[in-house]
Amino acid sequence: MPTRRTLLVATLLAPVFAMGTPALAADKVLTIGAAVFPDSLRPGTGSFASLSLMTQTNDQLVIRDNKSELHPGLATKWEQLDPLTMRFHLRQGVKFSDGTDFTADDVVFTINFALDPQNAYAMAARINQIASATAVDKYTVDIKTKAVFPTLLRGLSDIIMQPKAYTEKVGANGFAAKPMGTGPFIFQEWVPGDHYTLVANKNYWGGAPKVDKIVIRTIPDGSTRVAALAAGEAQIIEEVPIDLIDQVTASGARIDEIGTTAGLVLTFDPTIKPFDNAKIREAFDYAIDKELILKQILKGHGELLQGQVLTKGVLGFDPDLKARPFDPAKAKKMLEEAGYNFSTPVPITTQNGKYVSDTDICQAIAGMLNNIGVKATVNIVEGGVFQQMSNVLKMGPLHMIGWYSLGDADFATVWYTKAGHRTNWNSEDYDKMFVAARSTNDEKERVKIYHEMQALAFKENPSLFLFGLPSIYGTTKNVTGFGAASDKVLRLTEVELK
Amino acid sequence: MILPYILRRLAFLPLTLLLVALATFVVLRLTGNPVDIFLDINRTPEQVEALTKRLHLDLPIPAQFLLFLGELLHGDFGESLQFNGPAADVVWQRAGATLQLAGTALGLAVVLGVAGGIACAVWRDRAADAVISSIAVAGQSMPSFWLGMLLIEFFALQMRWLPTSGYGEPRHLVLPAITLATILLPNFVLITRTSIIELMGEQFVVTGRSKGMSRARVLLTHILPNAVNPVLSFLGIQIGTLMAGSIVTETIYAWPGVGRLLINSIFHRDVPVVEAAVFFIATIIALSNLAVDVLQMLIDPRIRRA
Repeated sequence: MPTRRTLLVATLLAPVFAMGTPALAADKVLTIGAAVFPDSLRPGTGSFASLSLMTQTNDQLVIRDNKSELHPGLATKWEQLDPLTMRFHLRQGVKFSDGTDFTADDVVFTINFALDPQNAYAMAARINQIASATAVDKYTVDIKTKAVFPTLLRGLSDIIMQPKAYTEKVGANGFAAKPMGTGPFIFQEWVPGDHYTLVANKNYWGGAPKVDKIVIRTIPDGSTRVAALAAGEAQIIEEVPIDLIDQVTASGARIDEIGTTAGLVLTFDPTIKPFDNAKIREAFDYAIDKELILKQILKGHGELLQGQVLTKGVLGFDPDLKARPFDPAKAKKMLEEAGYNFSTPVPITTQNGKYVSDTDICQAIAGMLNNIGVKATVNIVEGGVFQQMSNVLKMGPLHMIGWYSLGDADFATVWYTKAGHRTNWNSEDYDKMFVAARSTNDEKERVKIYHEMQALAFKENPSLFLFGLPSIYGTTKNVTGFGAASDKVLRLTEVELK
Repeated sequence: MILPYILRRLAFLPLTLLLVALATFVVLRLTGNPVDIFLDINRTPEQVEALTKRLHLDLPIPAQFLLFLGELLHGDFGESLQFNGPAADVVWQRAGATLQLAGTALGLAVVLGVAGGIACAVWRDRAADAVISSIAVAGQSMPSFWLGMLLIEFFALQMRWLPTSGYGEPRHLVLPAITLATILLPNFVLITRTSIIELMGEQFVVTGRSKGMSRARVLLTHILPNAVNPVLSFLGIQIGTLMAGSIVTETIYAWPGVGRLLINSIFHRDVPVVEAAVFFIATIIALSNLAVDVLQMLIDPRIRRA
């Protein structure tokens, strides 16, 4: 039987045990529920989910903000020495978290590492016009390009700087096992398929983060993610499913949202008859009530694409171009005039869950096409199979896909060129203009060319341009300083927990 | 008698695994290219070529499979492209989480299911039977993801007793284990109920009762020992269902197990990891079926002699 004294001791000690160690309790830990979780911390994989983890420990020369605008990062300024050479002045006094200096050698090392095909560095495509990087002195690097390369800075905002000495010592696999860099956070623990823990880098050159520790947890299911936010287990969650937005606000949490640069389009295969006829392609555009889909399925989140693949605000976006109105009668009449055979089966190929509400949008479009007598159906295929079909350009008459422009028309328009190898629609004029636009550093000139390219695409309709997709986050009320990111990369240095 | 039987059965295990490995390999290779998926849309021809060579994808599929078998003989599934390390390690890291979840769920399903089944049989066609049987049928027809959402809503959001998801502490295990157990539990109730009711009509039971034994005594000493075998054989069959169910459960609760890993690796056509995960699951199914058969032989002399 417990004596009165043991009971007393137990009562006094209970709160101590319940609280855990006092030092830990004082730590400000920010937990994030991630939707997509990379399998490894290898730099340079193609996904932005991966870049989102890598940029916690490592910085880029040029840094991109939540709105996809560029700012000085590890390079403080840059100048064009000649059309093929850009000189970068590096930030001085920056240290890697192991105490070594960040210098020009690290920049040269990283760029060579990324460009070596053996390293399977997928992001290298963003800087593939680089011919060489040379250290001029400890804090100056010259980057030479094979041709005029107007997207060099934007490309560099995807390349994280790796420490040369450390990477050479531990090897590429060693770096992936424990990334180390100049970034705002320092690696602590990586559990594949579960979580990534980092501690604040108090000496961060951009100012120490305002939390002590971050835990990025994978929560693949959308409803569970929302529940974790409502329960306060996570203070920030990615990718709030559109139909759960009300649930998030009802729980007292906030929605933070921004448009991505991804344009969701429905692409034709003009080698399949009768879709070689531009008039028929145009008629389809009139048959789809995009505003209704935006309102009903996307619940008003995201934007209506204005007759072009680019979202608003992107370099090359043409404000004068407008989406075709919904006019099913006109659509039907145009099809009849073009001699369209209404018994032609039109499967719409799509993946499920790759883009927000992708399958639902396809179902709605198929329904709208059925309303004017077109025999449209939805054909859902798994991602790997979709890619295989895409490689050989056999996607069927119509397929749904999203193209990210990442702020510059070059990245999205390339997929309509012959060299881009993603559509069977080809236009020599379009290809010529594409090359011309990337062969000058004159931004005004580039924008002018992109407007012409888009006018051509709007006339020819290689794709039906549908929606700019939203990027939707949920945060608890005590979080400040967080912003939704158009490229879905977590930027956490300013985040505070009240 | 039993040992040679076990050895004979174990001798067939490699053949089973080989066939499973071959089928998995061919299907994955034919339906997608890991290099394209890994390097994504912006890949350059030089990168594709280098990676294709590294993964031996330039060879015909039979040659690739032989290379894979060669590695396997050295106890190695090869390097995972996605995880940037040995595939066996990747699966091994997740095996504990899956075994913990599946083991707890199976334990729950068997204990509660058998107890429920006994109650149903004893109070056959009475209120208890009606209630338990209806719950069992309802449970059987409820999709796990929906049940999962309901449980999270009630226990994690309304009552705040348990976390919504995650892994690490015993409290994280409660909801996933209940969700997974619910897939199996109804069947255990129904199987136990049916076999006990069948046994109740057997002559040895009638004799026991007519000799004046109490109902409880007959149940404990004559019926239950005979009901163990049907439940055991059913359990053997359910291991596969359990593994399949764990995929959904692990996704709902962000449980870092082999099920989620397997699905993710299939999407990436990460053959080494898929093969290692399939080996893990196939081995568990094969070994637990063997264990069930051996147990049955130990329990029932008739099977032993046959």
